[in-house]
Amino acid sequence: MDEERRGTWFGFGFCGFGQALGSGLGRQVHSPEPVRMPGGSVDVCRVSASWSYTAFVTRGGRVQLSGAAGGAADGYTDACASEELLVLLRAGPGAGAELQAWAPGSALRGEPLWSHAVQEAEHGPNRDETQAGLLPLLPCARAYVSPRPSFYRPLAPTLRARRLELGAEHALLLDAAGQVFSWGSGRHGQLGHGTLEPEPEPRLLEALQGLRMAEVAAGGWHSVCLSETGDIYIWGWNESGQLALPTKSLAEDGKTTAGEASGLDEDGSEVKRVSAGEDGAPAPFIAVQPFPALLDLSPGSEAVKVSCGSRHTAVLTRTGELYTWGWETDPGFIYGSSSPSLTHSWCGI
Amino acid sequence: MAGPSALWEALQALLPRTKEELKLELGEKVEGSVVMLLQEAAELFHGGQRRKCLQTCEVLLDYSWEKLNTGPWQHVDKDWRRVYAFGCLLKAVCLCEPPGDAASVAAALKACDMGLLMGAAILGDILLKVAAVLQKHLLSGKRPAPGPSQELPGTKKARNDHMPIPDVMTERTVPRLHCPSLQYFKKHFLVPGRPVILEGVANHWPCMKKWRASCVPSGFSPVEQPKDIGYLAQHQLFDQIPELKQDISIPDYCCLGDGEEEEITINAWFGPQGTVSPLHQDPQQNFLAQVMGRKYIRLYSPQESEALYPHDTHLLHNTSQVDVENPDLEKFPRFAEAPFLSCVLSPGEVLFIPAKHWHYVRALDLSFSVSFWWS
Repeated sequence: MDEERRGTWFGFGFCGFGQALGSGLGRQVHSPEPVRMPGGSVDVCRVSASWSYTAFVTRGGRVQLSGAAGGAADGYTDACASEELLVLLRAGPGAGAELQAWAPGSALRGEPLWSHAVQEAEHGPNRDETQAGLLPLLPCARAYVSPRPSFYRPLAPTLRARRLELGAEHALLLDAAGQVFSWGSGRHGQLGHGTLEPEPEPRLLEALQGLRMAEVAAGGWHSVCLSETGDIYIWGWNESGQLALPTKSLAEDGKTTAGEASGLDEDGSEVKRVSAGEDGAPAPFIAVQPFPALLDLSPGSEAVKVSCGSRHTAVLTRTGELYTWGWETDPGFIYGSSSPSLTHSWCGI
Repeated sequence: MAGPSALWEALQALLPRTKEELKLELGEKVEGSVVMLLQEAAELFHGGQRRKCLQTCEVLLDYSWEKLNTGPWQHVDKDWRRVYAFGCLLKAVCLCEPPGDAASVAAALKACDMGLLMGAAILGDILLKVAAVLQKHLLSGKRPAPGPSQELPGTKKARNDHMPIPDVMTERTVPRLHCPSLQYFKKHFLVPGRPVILEGVANHWPCMKKWRASCVPSGFSPVEQPKDIGYLAQHQLFDQIPELKQDISIPDYCCLGDGEEEEITINAWFGPQGTVSPLHQDPQQNFLAQVMGRKYIRLYSPQESEALYPHDTHLLHNTSQVDVENPDLEKFPRFAEAPFLSCVLSPGEVLFIPAKHWHYVRALDLSFSVSFWWS
């Protein structure tokens, strides 16, 4: 695992609930802006964003909520925020780590809805590979947390899980050998097995066999993974262009993603948003991609981090560029941008 | 088109007088954050802040739309559909603020349509009333055909180009019979797998008179896949609205099959003029009963499958790649020679589509049909 480096958190998107995004001036933040924490800047090491609120966890073990849900508490190391439930990992002395689920509206006062003692990972030759410190996969990597009952779900011991991602109706798992498994509902092709059928148990993505994956991410109804060589594979629902494939509305309206917005980067200089060109002629479109498809961002770029919202995707390259694509809104309009836009470029981060 | 301010006043007259009345009673499923936004939307609307109200409505619509798209339709909590309808209502009215233009009114009507089709009744079926007012005010007097979207390239889509009614007389037509006996139907059509139009079988259904009166029977709910308007296939509609079952009856001929009556799948198909179902086949026998409007239907035997160029993926192998009324004969040369039967199916008639028989459908009018899948 890389040594954790201190950096600055940036946020963008809808913040009509007063979440601590950017300057807090607008209800929508179109370009990344530094996050303003309530109570001044603190040493944030984890961020989990739900729709109407955000949970920040500091190195000092404090969890702070911002937005439609408020409150703060000490003694936690991780948080997973969703609209229905806020799940926290409480640090324990020795083996006393505990998982807690709170109603977001509780402001972290009173008692959690439920709690579960977490078993420490056993020492042994497998320890490094099963290490996964991030929720929803628990440190011992033997179970994961879902925002819906049953909240605590054990994984089959044969799966040496490294990372788990939960979509609206599906789950993706990355194991120690770089293989990807998926299960859940497949109605939008998000499982990647080539059909729309559901899978009740984790099933290996055969299309990716032989390629070692480094990262996985799940959106509402789509899935992305990055190979160790920096290639992007993406599949699932494309109705908002979240797969960077042509969408029906763009094909019909001939809309392109031309248009530039500027953002500010660290030294205050303007960064223009550049869109990959797309000819406006009505084109065939893809609504569902049930198999992994390789996505070329730009020549020579290597993707190292990926993250998904419910209907959009974001990728960070090795050279510090952030690309986003998928669903966006503007006051009065909804359109999909299926061409990856270079949203921001950080130098030296 | 009557002036924008006349429209605005007509709409205001439909809405509750006070901000307090412009609200929904919602259960626990809807999160507090959404309730906050609903209140905010109502306040912005009453405060005359239309643009901000529109923004808030879009957020409400986006969020509730995702709830509507999560899991099977039958499990979507009705409160989410009501939230969605509320967003559509305020959006539609805000879009009509003077000085409105035809495009805004059309967009408002589209918002109403979405609310009617995906949402649930709120504030005394207000969306129906708003839609009626908007329709009257549109310039051409014609309801714009809503733009649909599709889940898969092979599923339902609408065509807006003005295609003429095909001259069925020059094509080989599907034979018609008036109330054949069970044995006759079985021997000449079911067993050999031949299509036929049955007259006198469904023309007495209560729905043939009732449903033609109103455009959108309230309580419609879309199915799992196409969640957009344009063409709605409504699975288990009749389970959700049992009253509608009294308006139709399962054709007697279904008893010739092997399955139980409970296993018969009844779907309702509602769509505007121009809606097309691309050429495809289904695994079961099908009785397609036409209730309202007419449909142009073309049928190809399963023996002609190769000349229909089905997609070779597992997902779409029961869907043809060919656009039947506008085929690319360079890409699909054999299609031109494939023999077919065609017909215009009118209200009261039932078409028997044998299992695996390829069929293509285009609605010639605003159309409502009921299909029975049986084995």
